Amino acid sequence: MMLVMSLTNLFREGAAMKMKMADGSTAVLRRNRPGTKAEMWSKWSDIAYEEMENTLAVQQYIQQAINKDVNDVEGILNQPDGVDEGVWKYEHLRQFCMELNGLSVKLQAECNPETCTQMTATEQWIFLCAAHKTPKECPAIDYTRHTLDGAACLLNSNKYFPSRVSIKESSVAKLGSVCRRVYRIFSHAYFHHRTLFDEYENETNLCKRFTIFVTKYNLMSKENLIVPILDDQELIEGESEA
Amino acid sequence: MMDAGPRKGEGLPKLRDLLRRQREDSLSESMTDSPDIEFLYDDADTYQSEMSELYSYTEECEFALNRKCFEEGFKAKGYDKWTETSSEIRKKHIVYLQNELEIASEERRTNAVHAVLYLVQGVFGECSTLEDQMEWEHRNVHMLYEQGIFTSFVELLSFQTENGKAAANALIKPAVSLADSLDLRMILNVLYTMVETMRVPLQSETEEHKRNRELFTEELVQPYIGDSVLLVSLFVMVTKFCSGNAPHFPMKKVLLLLWKITLICLGGLKDLQDTKNKVRESHGLSPLPEDTYEVCKNMRASSPPASAVDLIEQQLPRRAFRGGKRDDLFMMKSSLNDDPFENGNDADDLMKDVDGIKPNGDDEQLPPTPPRPSTPTVPQYRILPWKPKVRQKDLELFLEHTRKKFVGFHVKNDFTSLAGLPRPIHEGVKVLKQHLYISLTEIQIKKEEEMAKNPLSKPEGEIQSTPVEIFYQELLPNLPQYMIALLKILLAAAPTSKTKTDSINILSDVLPEEMPTTVLQSMKLGIDVNRHKEIIVKAISGLTLLLLKHFKLNHVYQFEFMSQHLVFANCIPLVLKFFNQNIMSYIGAKNSIPVLDFPSCVIGDQVELTAEALENGDSQQYCWRNLFSCINLLRILNKLTKWKHSRTMMLVVFKSAPILKRGLKVKQAMMQLYILKLLKMQTKYLGRQWRKSNMKTMSAIYQKVRHRLNDDWAFGNDMDARPWDFQAEECALRACVDRFNNRRYGNNGTDPDFKPVDNCTQSVLGEDLELCEDFKQNYERWLDIEVFSNQIDWDQVIAH
Repeated sequence: MMLVMSLTNLFREGAAMKMKMADGSTAVLRRNRPGTKAEMWSKWSDIAYEEMENTLAVQQYIQQAINKDVNDVEGILNQPDGVDEGVWKYEHLRQFCMELNGLSVKLQAECNPETCTQMTATEQWIFLCAAHKTPKECPAIDYTRHTLDGAACLLNSNKYFPSRVSIKESSVAKLGSVCRRVYRIFSHAYFHHRTLFDEYENETNLCKRFTIFVTKYNLMSKENLIVPILDDQELIEGESEA
Repeated sequence: MMDAGPRKGEGLPKLRDLLRRQREDSLSESMTDSPDIEFLYDDADTYQSEMSELYSYTEECEFALNRKCFEEGFKAKGYDKWTETSSEIRKKHIVYLQNELEIASEERRTNAVHAVLYLVQGVFGECSTLEDQMEWEHRNVHMLYEQGIFTSFVELLSFQTENGKAAANALIKPAVSLADSLDLRMILNVLYTMVETMRVPLQSETEEHKRNRELFTEELVQPYIGDSVLLVSLFVMVTKFCSGNAPHFPMKKVLLLLWKITLICLGGLKDLQDTKNKVRESHGLSPLPEDTYEVCKNMRASSPPASAVDLIEQQLPRRAFRGGKRDDLFMMKSSLNDDPFENGNDADDLMKDVDGIKPNGDDEQLPPTPPRPSTPTVPQYRILPWKPKVRQKDLELFLEHTRKKFVGFHVKNDFTSLAGLPRPIHEGVKVLKQHLYISLTEIQIKKEEEMAKNPLSKPEGEIQSTPVEIFYQELLPNLPQYMIALLKILLAAAPTSKTKTDSINILSDVLPEEMPTTVLQSMKLGIDVNRHKEIIVKAISGLTLLLLKHFKLNHVYQFEFMSQHLVFANCIPLVLKFFNQNIMSYIGAKNSIPVLDFPSCVIGDQVELTAEALENGDSQQYCWRNLFSCINLLRILNKLTKWKHSRTMMLVVFKSAPILKRGLKVKQAMMQLYILKLLKMQTKYLGRQWRKSNMKTMSAIYQKVRHRLNDDWAFGNDMDARPWDFQAEECALRACVDRFNNRRYGNNGTDPDFKPVDNCTQSVLGEDLELCEDFKQNYERWLDIEVFSNQIDWDQVIAH
């Protein structure tokens, strides 16, 4: 058992594609080997959460659920029994940041510092980039990259998140501000690069998942969720306004 | 005065004041000494005072600005009153404000800062009483904290301190004023209010708030942005200010925040005693023989050294007189609380109470009397207030000495055998052993020596990362600079120091842009400036003492490191210089204007300020903060010089005795105690003449300070016996401290051969290893050959 755990540690990011070798003969190799065909990418059989025997089971579980059906947002966000809520939130946010890289790569093609000189969503919101020691108005694409870098730094920081098995409450409290900043990438894409946003959203449902996620765990308030992605979003707005 | 139309409540204290003054006059005629100052030492003053001291009186106009900013924003969103809306809407607005804090437009950001400040100030515009305001203050602080506003403001603070524009502006100006620090002051106000409100819970604290408080305390010890904890960012601000690069930094607020963060994270001094007892217990030591604060509370102040005439007068029937006096005093006090004309009634009740036994039924017919304290009993000390102590070293010296005398030779390392010694010596040893007190310091030093001798067989063991330990690690790299900066500001704030042009200007955050034109205004500013300095002294003295005490308990060499840098930065003469002033008038200083204190200045009807009101100041018998600072500074001096021969000699060389003696005039037991301690340690070196003419002080020392058996402080004349080499002593200590710091915190200090082999699978596998390209491509083959095909008994491997 010790060996399995330490090996997975060695290949941290490849955790979900772990080799199973408990009984040798029927080993399912959960890993995308060099030369894997596109249609075979990540197409290995599912495994129940209880049977995932490693320290990164939560990430493995989340990624498995996403691979299974990206449209089943509720299913992906459905927290299995026995998972610590802090870890659950942390791992999801980690996954969001990873997938947001996909969106930012797409954005790079059309959002450049000359056209989008500021990080804006609707006209009245121009945001400061928190990645610098002095306040700075970075162009939207830089803001996106800086924010994702900053989020990755924080989420991988040994000081705040020394373990992925249990997370201190004071560290969980930091997730809210990451969400708030990261969300601005969605809103910029929605209001300024709509086609690109729709294209990506159709593929991944990422914004929808994010919106439901932050609402479910109270990481952001409805007022800041300005992208109308859910059917009932306007309704909620209207209700609390009354 | 009455014609000017002051509030009714305003006239009453005046009248009382007048009455009291008359009484005081008559009392002082009939008495040779004034009453004791009724002061209880605590970690801080009341919540209200601590909040009001955050603001200078020149900042008064900004309260309205905060209110305006908030109300405009709130109205624009279509809401009316904060106190009357639902918590849903409140939360929504906080989130909106938080978003605004991150917006590029500076104006909108500043507006949001003002609005949040108004919220933590307890939406005073919607409160009619001080209690209301305080409750809203707590509610809002917790709500804002839950939404992560504290973190947002820590980020804002770092933005604003790095803001080169403001610094450049301030640097070219001939005179820096309040206006230059507006942004920083607003942010610091929010942070301070949140910390202080979290620190002092309401009596009706809910479970949820309690949890918030615990979480908050835990968070403060962690780094917020990047790698530095808030404490260090603030210390960096202090050093930057002292180097002259940022004259606009509002130092008073920074220092107050530093002090309060330390207080909330490490805990106060009374709690420290309990912690100390726990640590002692874990080392198998007996608990402290007494509670310092309890003993001080029950101790009566000595009358100050008096002239010969007074001495004769005091020999008149004193005992009977004293009893009467106490009663008189007590009556005076209670009559101040009630209507002064109902004195007769009170006296009647008192008589009945004294009569004691009454049928139960009577109680109901009597009108309920207000609760009063029982007649104070004068504690008669037939016993010493402190249990005498003996150090292990004293015992050893005693044995060595007597053996040499009676047996004629020296027995090494034997502290039990009494062979050949006469009976009285046996008894002496028995008494010494009874009073033997082993301090944690001795244990820590001994352990340190053992570790230095046996680096292999005696490893450090795991160091718990307690808040104190984290703070020490964070402060360690630049601690000397921080200490110098603190003392520099303390020097500038000392009442005796003249404002030199080249010294730092600590008044930039009180002085308004335009100097006052009327007499009233300049009087007000004068009080404001003095108050400002007093508060700075309070914060620095509180912070320094707190850090010294906590480091001392955590590890003596952490304490020695800090104290040595304080000594090197001339802390000892500085504190003496501070006391070289009219200390009585410093304790009695009335540098406050109660009507202008926050929140009184924004709640209820406002009174017009008159010159008379300014002159009278508050109605306090003494100034809490100044007495607090004095005691702290004396305690710091004690901490620095205790058991340090060369530093004690500094006290002698700087002629501290007359300065300290003057401090004895303050009739407060705790303050006197710490002065007497300082006098005791140098009595030996002051000469016979001094002792002869200061017998009263000598007996006060005997009465109040702990006895050390075998210590001949009062009679010894060993001036020549102990050479005084400041350099050598400090160097020896320095070597120990450096060895400690290197071993525990340096990564290159220790010999890598002495480091234990890392055989923890997690950390070994977590290490970054450069793998060659060949290996990377064929690692699975390697796994097969080296790992899977080999039969390894893992249980065996792990067991070893």
